[in-house]
Amino acid sequence: MKKFLALIMFAALAFAFIGCDVTEETDWNIVMLTDVGTITDKSFNQGTWEGVKAFADANDIDAIYFRPNAGTQADYEEAIDLVVANGANVVVCPGFLFETAIYSKQTQYPNVHFILIDGQPHDASYNYSTAVNTLCILFQEEQSGFLAGYAAVADGYDNLGFMGGMELPAVIRFGIGYVAGAYYAAEVLDKTIVFNASRYTYLGDFNNDVSHTTEAASWYAGDDGVDIIFAAAGGAGNAVMAAAATANKKVIGVDVDQASQSTTVVSSAMKLLAVAVGQALTDLIIDDDFAGGTTLTKGAAQDAVGLPLGDSFKFTTFTEAQYATLLAQVKAGTIVVPTTEAELTTFIATYCGNPSIAALIAKAETEAAE
Amino acid sequence: MYDSIVSYLALVLLAAIPLIVTALGGMFTERGGVTNISLEGIMIIGAFVGLVTVNKLPASWFSSNFVLYLCGMIAAVIGGLIFAGIHAIAAIKMKANQIISATAINTLAPALALFLTMSLTLGEAQGSDKILVNGTRFIIERVPLLADIPFIGEVFFTNVYPSLYFGIAILVISSIVLYKTKFGLRLRACGENPHAADAAGINIYKMRYQGVFISGILASLGGYFLVTSFTNEFDATVSGFGFLAIAVMIFGNWKPKNIAFTALFFAALLTLSKGVAFFPALENWLYPPIPADTPPEQIAFLTYVSTKVIPNIISMLPYIATLAVLVLSSKKSAAPKASGLIYDKGER
Repeated sequence: MKKFLALIMFAALAFAFIGCDVTEETDWNIVMLTDVGTITDKSFNQGTWEGVKAFADANDIDAIYFRPNAGTQADYEEAIDLVVANGANVVVCPGFLFETAIYSKQTQYPNVHFILIDGQPHDASYNYSTAVNTLCILFQEEQSGFLAGYAAVADGYDNLGFMGGMELPAVIRFGIGYVAGAYYAAEVLDKTIVFNASRYTYLGDFNNDVSHTTEAASWYAGDDGVDIIFAAAGGAGNAVMAAAATANKKVIGVDVDQASQSTTVVSSAMKLLAVAVGQALTDLIIDDDFAGGTTLTKGAAQDAVGLPLGDSFKFTTFTEAQYATLLAQVKAGTIVVPTTEAELTTFIATYCGNPSIAALIAKAETEAAE
Repeated sequence: MYDSIVSYLALVLLAAIPLIVTALGGMFTERGGVTNISLEGIMIIGAFVGLVTVNKLPASWFSSNFVLYLCGMIAAVIGGLIFAGIHAIAAIKMKANQIISATAINTLAPALALFLTMSLTLGEAQGSDKILVNGTRFIIERVPLLADIPFIGEVFFTNVYPSLYFGIAILVISSIVLYKTKFGLRLRACGENPHAADAAGINIYKMRYQGVFISGILASLGGYFLVTSFTNEFDATVSGFGFLAIAVMIFGNWKPKNIAFTALFFAALLTLSKGVAFFPALENWLYPPIPADTPPEQIAFLTYVSTKVIPNIISMLPYIATLAVLVLSSKKSAAPKASGLIYDKGER
């Protein structure tokens, strides 16, 4: 199946490059490589691609996406070789999993610009190095998760759950922010919440699978079931939404505004991938001001994370005005959202009345530390 | 607790119905002497055609969502018949290897569904390879009177998908057809000893065509039932339920009643393996809450056990149980003797 898709994409790729004359310096060819999951995941890949596509259409530049055979370093390197051999000179790679592949390829292709989202290039033994032709973009997902967690508790949801896709840095930060936001709201607004450690999990993939529907359904079931699940899980979020629809419970979406996916989505912890990618491409191609070799961190202060407003803001008692106040505090740095387990422990102890939730916090990062 | 058990049983039934329906399809074709491992592919096609139909037909044409659901079923069946037809012609008329042609269908089906979704823009946006399902519109909220029965009313007659009733009806009809009709007797004869059946004047080829077509009808319905009740978005996969159905069929000894029990057993274990949270007592036993005063290094260890060890062991249980039961019961296995063999009139 993947081979078949790859074949189609390869044909499209070959076609796209026919008729590109390479005489002018301004001939840009943007190629986005997809991370695990598909281009239409309504989440991470799609958000990035929309940014690339919007920029390319507005400036009449060729842009295509290409799906590597599998999510391994070898497949990513092979994909980079393939697209560069076909004339790509800007390669957009969304995803932490590209770190090692880009580490080796950024020096091999010094004339190709790499934009790496959610990661920084390093080798197998974690020696970090970002070459001048590579730009890294990181998001402060914890802020987005914090806003979502606060909003959920402020709106009266008092039994929370979290389902992450895979235990990757970005997903971990979403979860940590969510826990911090929920307990911060509980303390500030004097509410009692239940966030059982067993209701915090990583599913192990980003697929829309029947088993995830079952697991979410079991969480929602019964009188003391969870009211709302934050599904930071890409395509697997759809499985959670299916369970929520049957159980008549709620979901918080992730990455992009997922309200159109299901009526169960009350809000989405967004990171504005499209905006950030578009900005990076504009800097590179239009303004000739590529911040290569550096890492840009995009957070609330850059308006790069947050919850969707308008029709997608479906809270009932928590208002947009209250949200704006909270967002301003995060932006100004009055609230510093934790990013690691250790910081979360300190945050809970300092600002949240120190409830005994060590078991919950321990679930945030279960892989052995680097 | 009570609500949880009701939800659990409802979910078990929901997962068991597509398995039962598809496995019955496999039973009919094998009883007639043709193996059909393309159940997975036919499920995908049935789900695809059915979903496209219910999504594209204008809702205003229909007085109720139930009628729309029926239309989806009819469309799914047509799609399933076409693909079963491919297998039937290859396996019966052309006398091709039955495994190969079925494998071709299994490979073709998801690719074709994806290709059509993308090229005809059947998803909600250009380039999308997924079809929105919105299956909750088909839920029957309450069956009058019957819903008032304690417990049974809650499991079988409140918030159920129509697939539950269709599945039970198919099970009952299948048993009757297989054991109480002339057609059933002849079909079984074709799968056991086709030469004897031929000598008795039965048209082997005709019976086998019918068997394969029934499997196409039932597998496509199984796929349609599965995706309308289990997911929010269809991306040309049925999560391996087609192959699971074949296992259920073998496990169920090619008998409708046994297939139904096996499917329920499978579904119960599969649902339990992902849904221990349905049973708080069991969950507390498997994942004891960590006391607040536990030292940090012990918390780290206990967290490791509860996230990396226990869930994996539980996920294995349905398959370990299957192996165990198969080992114990395989002596009594009664596969149709001529299943998978090409029928040649001249052969002795």
